[in-house]
Amino acid sequence: MRTMDDYEMDPAEQEFWLAQVARLVDELDPVPAGLVERAQFAIDLEDIDAEVELEAARWAERRPLAGVRGGAPGTITFFVGDLTVMVNVTRTGEKQRIDGWLVPAGEHGVEVRVADHGSNTTTADEGGRFVLTEVPRGTTQILVRMNGGKPRTVVTPTVEL
Amino acid sequence: MGAVTELHATRTNPPWEGLEGTERHAACVIAAREGHRGALDVLVAELTPLVWHIARGAGLDRSAAEDVAQTVWLALLRHVDAIAEPRAVVGWLITTTRREAKRTRQRSTTHVELSPEVQEHVPSTEPMPEAEALRTERDRTLWSAFHRLDQRCQELLRLTVLAGRAEYKVVAEVLRMPHGSIGPTRGRCLTALRALYDNGDGGR
Repeated sequence: MRTMDDYEMDPAEQEFWLAQVARLVDELDPVPAGLVERAQFAIDLEDIDAEVELEAARWAERRPLAGVRGGAPGTITFFVGDLTVMVNVTRTGEKQRIDGWLVPAGEHGVEVRVADHGSNTTTADEGGRFVLTEVPRGTTQILVRMNGGKPRTVVTPTVEL
Repeated sequence: MGAVTELHATRTNPPWEGLEGTERHAACVIAAREGHRGALDVLVAELTPLVWHIARGAGLDRSAAEDVAQTVWLALLRHVDAIAEPRAVVGWLITTTRREAKRTRQRSTTHVELSPEVQEHVPSTEPMPEAEALRTERDRTLWSAFHRLDQRCQELLRLTVLAGRAEYKVVAEVLRMPHGSIGPTRGRCLTALRALYDNGDGGR
């Protein structure tokens, strides 16, 4: 009977267990297909000025999209620091409409980049609302350029919309 | 910066070409600072598996680990000028990934307001992969045992697996691990894995 305190494992047995871990990690937990390309797209930003603070946001909630990263439209939220951005996606034929809301509100620049489709830009109104129509579907990244005070750009990881 | 970019763009051979491991990564960092397009792409292509396994070893699910991986690369874009030692970029990536993974984990547990002590002992919520992928009961038990290891062991074993591969000797360097050796900590992690495996899946 082995116990947790049994530290002695001969090198051959260590190799055996390590090989088992290697096999399962390779089979069950490979790097997601396309992650390298999505990351390369995410950092392929033209005009990131050294003077501008670049902050990476996180997708806070995507429950309506959970488990279907390439899936259905719905509401997703991302945030960075004190900024929260809610995004609602509605299919319009082959394209989609993006309704967004920045909190705290401000007339900030919003850019939606879609891989292989360039980008759509707009400016939020004083209530922090913005709308982009006819946005192509695909690997999408959202940038918010905040002008009040110290200029900073918030940029999200990509999401499949 | 624009002029430098053009200068590099006209070169036939990128500065990292023909280099390997630490030297190659350092050359990419220096080239990226000089505005060389493509230098960061090389790092992303070659070191994303490292970032991925650190994020997963920290207990993030696959979706959160993907976001963290992208966040880490965005952080490198932002901070490439501030990395004091280009040769240490792999260490920087490991540290940054651990920190981002921790932040993400803390955020996802905030709303349940667990005390730090309790959080330490919350088992991984990692959902088990599809049953069909786990063909045998033995694999199921082993994978379950692996996820019940503490996070330090999960990360260490994942990195050990990577470091054992020719293209990831650089990971072995960072782990200060002689090639082909399994240190005492790794030995303890493997022993713990064996014990969890022997005890079966949830005491069945």
